[in-house]
Amino acid sequence: MGYGDVQMIDANGIRNDGRKAGDVRPISIELGVVPVADGSCRMKWGANDVIAAIYGPMEAHPRKIQRQDRAVLDVRYNMAPFSTSDRIRPGFNRRSREISKVTAEALESVVMLELYPRSKIRVEIEIICAEAGTRCVGLTAASVALAHAGIPMTDLVVSVASGKINDVVVCDLNKAEDNYGEADLPMGVLPNSGELAFLQMDGDLSPEEFQEAWDYNMNAAMVIHGYCVEALKTGRYPQ
Amino acid sequence: MSIPLVPQLLRSHLRELAENNQRLDNRSQFEGRDVEIEVGILGNAEGSARVRMGDTIVLAGVKFQTMTPYPDRPNEGGLMCMAEVRPVSGRQHEAGPPSAESIELSRVVDRGIRESGCIDTSDLCIIPGEKAWQVILDLFAVSDDGNLFDAFALAGITALRNAIIPQEKFELGEDRPLVVSKTPIMCSYQRVGGRFIFDANGREELGGDERIHITLGDDNHVHSLQKGLKGAFTAAEFTELMEEARKKGEELRNMVHSLEGGN
Repeated sequence: MGYGDVQMIDANGIRNDGRKAGDVRPISIELGVVPVADGSCRMKWGANDVIAAIYGPMEAHPRKIQRQDRAVLDVRYNMAPFSTSDRIRPGFNRRSREISKVTAEALESVVMLELYPRSKIRVEIEIICAEAGTRCVGLTAASVALAHAGIPMTDLVVSVASGKINDVVVCDLNKAEDNYGEADLPMGVLPNSGELAFLQMDGDLSPEEFQEAWDYNMNAAMVIHGYCVEALKTGRYPQ
Repeated sequence: MSIPLVPQLLRSHLRELAENNQRLDNRSQFEGRDVEIEVGILGNAEGSARVRMGDTIVLAGVKFQTMTPYPDRPNEGGLMCMAEVRPVSGRQHEAGPPSAESIELSRVVDRGIRESGCIDTSDLCIIPGEKAWQVILDLFAVSDDGNLFDAFALAGITALRNAIIPQEKFELGEDRPLVVSKTPIMCSYQRVGGRFIFDANGREELGGDERIHITLGDDNHVHSLQKGLKGAFTAAEFTELMEEARKKGEELRNMVHSLEGGN
């Protein structure tokens, strides 16, 4: 099956999981799920299930990775072998390496690294169950876990992806929409400043469609930010 | 993994506690932490379990693949057990290839399950000599506060006992439950402050000496043993541990069985 062959949205604009174009999948957040870590967060987003844990600030070793004026962020994004329909062989691959890199760079934009010279903060993102959009869930969960660890930050990073299915722009792609859709635009929004710290895109969008997807992401990020703040205040969302 | 610096202070504290028959968290010598087991928690696994013992949390996920049977066993499928102790589970665990510790961990858990004969590999044959099911049990540490061995073994057997062979997905007929005829249970003991204790937590592991892992099947048959770390023990000590493992194993086995029947 190729692009456009799979009907994923009906004449009334209802998607295959019952959502309307602008709807986000159900989200729940729980803090402290890794009791031995300095901060942690489990985020369920649709059928995605992601754990983020923070260790540090701690001594950075080997010494060659130390920076005299700031801490280094050591970010690892990993998919557990049982997280997908076909088992994943354990170990780093090119995809997880790239996602780890861009996630680290997004988080570096908000973490006040200059407060911890010569130290290291470890950010571990583990995908336990995957259903499209794991990089967005991982980045959002990591920023909540950093806040839970008490690491000073200027903002959270809330990440969400919009895309295009059957020529309709929709928010927060699910698995079928991600596999058979025509475009995918993940963004990482800093909700307080409205800036972006993470941006990727692949597919085909007209200028109008691009603007629509952009607006969906911005609006969704603000709503999800509210969930994150509530979780940080009370330990979980929803209550 | 860097070698953890064991403060002499912790070891002497553990010795003092042992002399008064006490432990860091007020447990008695052979008392385990409270055990919580949840099944079917991973949406993309064909069988899964989450085990929590104090601050130790692990996941087990079962996946199935088709394989070509080994030439000397054309009518049998296979079982593979892998344990990962990734850096998410503790500050002492670093990224990189699997450490000797985590390889030992997965092999000891694997032997206990395999040698119990709980999985009939001939039941996994699809076409003799051509195609068979390979059962892959992946064990994943979320939070390591000691005794990953028992947590992994318990999550592993629970996940297997609740696994479904995804025959539909492979166009091989209807889905069917994986047949698991026994329930091997591992009990681990570590010498801490001079005497053996059950279910050591992270700090007891750090300040402890040798450990002994005993896997018992139904009817208390022994299926795997492992002695790890520096130290030596007497026959009398071992006899006592075997006796304890029988009692504790029965309790945990009943717990695993109580989670079944729903599916």
